[in-house]
Amino acid sequence: MSSGSTNEYEVHEWESLKGPFNASYGKVMMWYFLISDTFVFGAFLVAYAAARTSNAESWPMASEVFSTVPGLSGNHYPLVFVSFMTFVLIISSVTMVRAVQEGFMGNRNGVIKYLIPTIAMGLLFLGCQYLEWSHLIHEGMTMWYTPFSALGHGHEGPQQFGMFFFTITGFHGMHVVTGVLLNIWLLVETAKGRFDKLGNYGMVEKVGLFWHFVDLVWVYVFLGYYLL
Amino acid sequence: MAHMTQQEYEQNKKDVYKTTGILSVVTVVEVLGSIVYENMVEDLRWPLMVFVTLASVIKAYWIMNVFMHVGHEKKGFMFTILFPFIFLVWAIIAFSFDGAAWLAMRNAINGIFF
Repeated sequence: MSSGSTNEYEVHEWESLKGPFNASYGKVMMWYFLISDTFVFGAFLVAYAAARTSNAESWPMASEVFSTVPGLSGNHYPLVFVSFMTFVLIISSVTMVRAVQEGFMGNRNGVIKYLIPTIAMGLLFLGCQYLEWSHLIHEGMTMWYTPFSALGHGHEGPQQFGMFFFTITGFHGMHVVTGVLLNIWLLVETAKGRFDKLGNYGMVEKVGLFWHFVDLVWVYVFLGYYLL
Repeated sequence: MAHMTQQEYEQNKKDVYKTTGILSVVTVVEVLGSIVYENMVEDLRWPLMVFVTLASVIKAYWIMNVFMHVGHEKKGFMFTILFPFIFLVWAIIAFSFDGAAWLAMRNAINGIFF
């Protein structure tokens, strides 16, 4: 495979090949990857459910732990900052789905126009997560120690609270990082005109599926850790 | 997927903005519900907890149906994606009860030995 044109022909053939369920192979495989990824997150959530219900008496209340906003003094803002983060992720999902639709229409500039805010929102989410983590670490929370309990701040709480917080939101954050990197790659390739040459924007749809999955998982991380 | 017609495109665009509205409203309601229930007596909390959980299921439905367009796939593909999740939902519910049982057991043992 030394010549570039042979490669491009093969990619083109692979892309247009109909897989099972009348969908492209790439899309079916992306879904199967997402299902396996769901099981990893599911394992975290199952373990979290058991750890939490077996420590029900001392488990800290989310509206007390997550009650600060960076830049504002005091802790009278229960869940405000994390709700903002949820909105950031929802909006980035919306711009992503718009990019996918522009891709279906073969509109290169439309794809670029909607991919840029998607990447920006992803980075904003990561920045917010950095602020939240550094605040909690500053308060003394680690993987092995929780400085909050059902009694409030300053009481030692169940160790699992910090442990699951950093592993679950960390694993989700890692997915956001991956999604942002994929989107940047997608933006570069779109701008270079690769998908116009291929004649289809299926790749935007596949990366879009991954990005929506990150949003979907956040719905459940948000439910399990912040709402319940 | 083949190219959409202009009409389909406009319809899909409308669906997306409608979904954005639904997701935003449900999130706000969820957060309010969560803050309200944490200030309530222990025994009265569960209806709101069930409500918040159902609200999240609604959000997941709209994200999967419109953003990930699972609803537009072939039926077989749809069920291939959805069936594995049933096991996870079962596992989460089962392990919640298991955790509560561990707590009860630990408290019973502490009562005997300490």
